Amino acid sequence: MAKPVAADGVVEHTPMKTLLLAAGILVAGGGSLAAHHSFAAEFDASKAIRLNGTLTKVEWTNPHIYFYLDVKDESGNVVHWTCESGAPGALSRRGWKRGDLKLGDTVVVDGYRAKNGANMIDARRVTLPDGRIVSGASAGDGGPQ
Amino acid sequence: MTKRRSDSVGRAFPPSASAGLRLFRPGIRTVASYLVAVLAFVAVSTTAHAQGLTVQDFKSNRPTPRMANGKPDFSGYWKGTTDTKPGGNIGKDLPGWKLPLTPAGEAALKHNLTATVDPEAVCIIGGIPRHNASGLPFEVLHGAKKIAFLYWYSYFRLIPIDAALKHSDDPDPSFFGEEIGKWEGDTLVIDSIGFKDEKVWIDENANPHSDALHVVERWTRPDADHIHVETLIEDPKFYTKPFTYSRTWVLGKPDEQIQEYSCSENNVDAAHLGFGPGPIRPDGTRGYVDPAPLPPPIPRTAK
Repeated sequence: MAKPVAADGVVEHTPMKTLLLAAGILVAGGGSLAAHHSFAAEFDASKAIRLNGTLTKVEWTNPHIYFYLDVKDESGNVVHWTCESGAPGALSRRGWKRGDLKLGDTVVVDGYRAKNGANMIDARRVTLPDGRIVSGASAGDGGPQ
Repeated sequence: MTKRRSDSVGRAFPPSASAGLRLFRPGIRTVASYLVAVLAFVAVSTTAHAQGLTVQDFKSNRPTPRMANGKPDFSGYWKGTTDTKPGGNIGKDLPGWKLPLTPAGEAALKHNLTATVDPEAVCIIGGIPRHNASGLPFEVLHGAKKIAFLYWYSYFRLIPIDAALKHSDDPDPSFFGEEIGKWEGDTLVIDSIGFKDEKVWIDENANPHSDALHVVERWTRPDADHIHVETLIEDPKFYTKPFTYSRTWVLGKPDEQIQEYSCSENNVDAAHLGFGPGPIRPDGTRGYVDPAPLPPPIPRTAK
């Protein structure tokens, strides 16, 4: 059973987990499988993290969109992160368009870190500069929706 | 000493968290705030997904459309339903979803799980029967002598419909196999042999098939809004006995159709994928049982 694990390895138990999981199940619907690859083949569901960074590059491409953030660590050093979301067609149908991402924007990304330890995140929820929240999840990849 | 921080909903961040990379550690006092934000996000997301890949099934009173030759016309954009569970699992209709693997099949499954990346993830055609178990919609264009299945990832298969056709003695192996279509009344039967035995998963869960695979699909369109397949899967190398897979899809909206999708355009993730699909849940689907929750959505008014 995966636990919420911080990047520094601290395991957390939270009273909100059940609620959030229930919400996730609601959103996931029938749990159909669809995506280009399994969430679990690439990302670690125990490593939920939040990034707050500056947008440096956008690739609005298949099979996934990628956008890149410069994120300051606690020492003030800039760390480059790769953010992966769903396919352009799926995202645009949800109302997340290419024009919503502008270089230099500050965005907040909530998601799960890559299993291989790379500075790469499955950007399942993105808070845009105007405060709008968009789902970046690859529908049906078996990951938290 | 590092000053302890909190965000706009009062969620405390640990001193070790950086300015940009924050780790989710909610406190119980923030539950009410989370609830509002989470449910708002759920509402938005549910709406988004309702317009997505799968839909709720429904009854139809509209008659089966037919071609000029009187046969059912399978043309349409077809979407899976939420009744298909477990999705992506070719053993869906078997007790406990347990496939009748031979020892060679068990070895092939182990190989797929431990030494292969999902072929679709590296832009290799999923083939049949995997595409029939996929959650992705597909489109059918149906003519009197040929039927075309158009899939996401820009893959397609073209099946001739001709009662006089016979399989080749030694067809070139392919991911969809050598496919022959024939009518049996209002049922279109597609019989396929000549499959690949490398870089193939028979479903999303990395189950195997060999080059001895024989697939018989029996397609029907009982009304205007549904198509249905009954699939017989035989593979004496990897499965001790034939088994079946059945499924129903519903007609999409008139403005829905397959879109351009170049799988290898920017496949950054390929370098980050592990072998196999990852864990399989007790419900027969791929994924983690108990993922860590994401940080709560940020209330828009607080930004």
